[in-house]
Amino acid sequence: MLIMAYSLSIFLMITLPLALAAGLRRVSRPVWLLFSVGSLTFILSQAVHLPLNDWLADIGFLPKSSVDELPLWRTAVTLGLTAGLCEELARAAGYALIKKLKPIWMRWQDSLMLGLGHGGIESMIFGGVLTAAGFSSLLSMREIDPNTLGLNTEQLAALKLQLELFTASPWNAILPLIERTLAISIHVVFSLLVWRAFARGKLSRDWYYIPLAVLYHAAVDAAVVWTAETSSANYVLMMLIFTSTLLPGWAWALWLLRKERVLRAAIKRERERQVGDSSIWAELSVFWAASIKELRQLWRTKRLLVMGAVFLIFGMGSPVIAKFTPLAFRSIEGMEMFAEMIPEPTAGDAMGQYIKNLAQFGFILAVLMAMGVVVGEKERGVAAMIISKPMPRWAFVSSKLAAQGVMYLTGFILAGTGAYYYTLFLFEPLALGDYALLNGLLYLWLMVFVALSVLGSTLAGSTVSAGGIGLGLAIALLLAGALPRYGALLPGGLMGWANQLGQRAAGVAASLPGSASASAEVMANGGAAASALVIILMSLVLAIGVFEQQEL
Amino acid sequence: MSEAMNAAQPGVPAEFSEFGPESAAIYCQNLSKHYGEIQALEALTLSVPYGSVFGFLGRNGAGKTTTMRLLAGLALPTAGRAWVAGMETTSARRQARLRFGYLPQEPAFYNWMSACEYLEYVGQIQGLNKAKRASQIDRLLALSGLQDAARRRIGGFSGGMLQRMGIAQALMGDPPVLLLDEPTSSLDPAGRYEVLDMISQLRGKTTVFLSSHILTDIERVCDTVAILHKGRLVLVSGKDELLEQHPVNAVELEFEPIYGSSDQEMLARFSSALQEKAWVASVKRENARLRVMVQDVSRGKRELLPLVMAHDLSLNRYEWVRPSLEDIFLQLSA
Repeated sequence: MLIMAYSLSIFLMITLPLALAAGLRRVSRPVWLLFSVGSLTFILSQAVHLPLNDWLADIGFLPKSSVDELPLWRTAVTLGLTAGLCEELARAAGYALIKKLKPIWMRWQDSLMLGLGHGGIESMIFGGVLTAAGFSSLLSMREIDPNTLGLNTEQLAALKLQLELFTASPWNAILPLIERTLAISIHVVFSLLVWRAFARGKLSRDWYYIPLAVLYHAAVDAAVVWTAETSSANYVLMMLIFTSTLLPGWAWALWLLRKERVLRAAIKRERERQVGDSSIWAELSVFWAASIKELRQLWRTKRLLVMGAVFLIFGMGSPVIAKFTPLAFRSIEGMEMFAEMIPEPTAGDAMGQYIKNLAQFGFILAVLMAMGVVVGEKERGVAAMIISKPMPRWAFVSSKLAAQGVMYLTGFILAGTGAYYYTLFLFEPLALGDYALLNGLLYLWLMVFVALSVLGSTLAGSTVSAGGIGLGLAIALLLAGALPRYGALLPGGLMGWANQLGQRAAGVAASLPGSASASAEVMANGGAAASALVIILMSLVLAIGVFEQQEL
Repeated sequence: MSEAMNAAQPGVPAEFSEFGPESAAIYCQNLSKHYGEIQALEALTLSVPYGSVFGFLGRNGAGKTTTMRLLAGLALPTAGRAWVAGMETTSARRQARLRFGYLPQEPAFYNWMSACEYLEYVGQIQGLNKAKRASQIDRLLALSGLQDAARRRIGGFSGGMLQRMGIAQALMGDPPVLLLDEPTSSLDPAGRYEVLDMISQLRGKTTVFLSSHILTDIERVCDTVAILHKGRLVLVSGKDELLEQHPVNAVELEFEPIYGSSDQEMLARFSSALQEKAWVASVKRENARLRVMVQDVSRGKRELLPLVMAHDLSLNRYEWVRPSLEDIFLQLSA
């Protein structure tokens, strides 16, 4: 129940911003690309914000290890101001760029979409990914004696408090979701505030909205820091104070929208449009038809067959390779001594081989199979034929990712079944739950690269350049996995988790710090799983946004 | 439509620019498209009446395909708007794309699909129910003469079959307007005949907006003609009115077939002599046939035959005719 509640909360923190954006789009038709632009302004602001906070901590202006090092008011105000300055100035830079390049994207609904993108990616990262990382770590530590972790008294107390909070009730899972929903709403308000500086085309007159947004953002963040430190983990009180800081912003935004009578008019227009135009169900039905067509295409062009065969061979082959590698060495004259050096193979080796094979060949297949899905049809002119029909562009791109997803799911079912059978035959049975989860994690990891390749295929002008872009994005992501502090939260972290699961499924004890027994506790990396989902969804959103703007 | 707008298009009568989005099958309002410094289409304002087979003429690069892509919502206008059957197509609305069928210059299909499967897929995208899809597929395969090839892979179709398939897919869902971009340009004479025949069958049922640089095709199937030159609309008119507006000022001369170089030289000398005459506008020669555009008809009628006799040529046919669409087109787009 606890796991389900937190999983649902994390899933909603990741998908709610997209659902809100989809709703806004149906009401007033801002372009999807603005969601990505809003997300980018947040990411760029953090590229300055996080190092700035580190530097301020280094020079003693912010506490380095404990909040008690400095007066709380000063810490709260400083943190608020750095967040406000970095994020609102990034937002202002985004508006300045849009005004120059695409002035038609300066409507009120465009500013709401930018706000949803900015607050949305924050919700996905700070809400979804970090909550998932924290929750999965705490879940893994439930079985471990905290005293064996080598923490000081203060850290130990904080850990115990967090553990208590996380495990007290499944209802606690709703708290981060509420907090993130509130945060998204205030980001929309900040976005409207900065928009006002640019909207009337007289920045010299309306400039004051930018410092106003900075100060309001700083005030909200400072209040959050203050209450977090003084409310003794009373989350209801924290939420109430947080909400009260948002009230003026909400009131102003509603006043603004009512004043311009835009909201009511937009909803009325949407109602009228729904009557004569396509409903969401009509669009979903086209998406379904397109997905089925994609799957038939994969089948008829033999791609599904080839991919299934490759996965099956690597699935069945992995335990075989693990089992017979020492025998192969023994049979080669002069190599017998190497065979002696190789320990007796186990089911754990079979699992290691399985993960290695699927990761390496799956990665190559993911890039190769997906690189032409969009650009190939653009090059041949089929996309123009189909898009001239009532095919929503989102459905055109999404159906391709969905079909690829089904193809790799089929591949993993075949590979998984083959590997399970041969491991059973050559070694011993695997723990089915761990083995299924392992395959799920590998699938999620692979889908990240499929999504990046689909994005590359949308961005590129030719199949070759699509492959280059897809491969470049994938390598950049793999390299980012080596970043200190954040690298483990990227999808590469799924591999470590999958390897531990593989060993446990094979009955081999993993050596974890503080592991009480040889029953092998696995250190789950929920953060990596959540970040994989975020990257898949954001790649898709960017691909749709870009495709919507492309001329065919 | 404002007078200023009409003034910007001097060759466009009010009836082809005054109807608004609601009453015209196609309505473009100041539709423009620039690619950097290049002006592919400049402030096109045009009404296409319902039921017409509308020929959109222009040389290569005149802006015909750009107009088609803007109407089909595949390109974004730099300025202006366009409506098809009363619904704006430049606003990326899904429903607007049910109002027209579009055939690009080089239609491309999923080659692994059969004709039947492709039409079925198009019907699904258009939200047609199963029964309606089945009946429309049967009807369109019959109309396009592809019944026998219905289950064959599209990848194995000839050029003519692909174009007919293209028109069939454009007609799926019974759209009120058909946008055909150079549907015959890549076909051999037999293929062209088949496609033009298919378009002729649509007369009165569907508004056809047909772009082409092949004037004989336009002359054969269209009832209304617009001429686009360097991105600007220079003329819109009913085809018959257009031809009637231009007086009988062309004469066709057909001589005895040429058998030797001496005949050849004699005809060449005659052609050169004609071109030197002040009353002659242009001379076009094709084997033993000459088509002479005349500036001063009365002088032409007086002086032409004596000139033929002076060059000792044997004349088989002598006929005063109206200028063809090609003559008018060349004159306007010169």
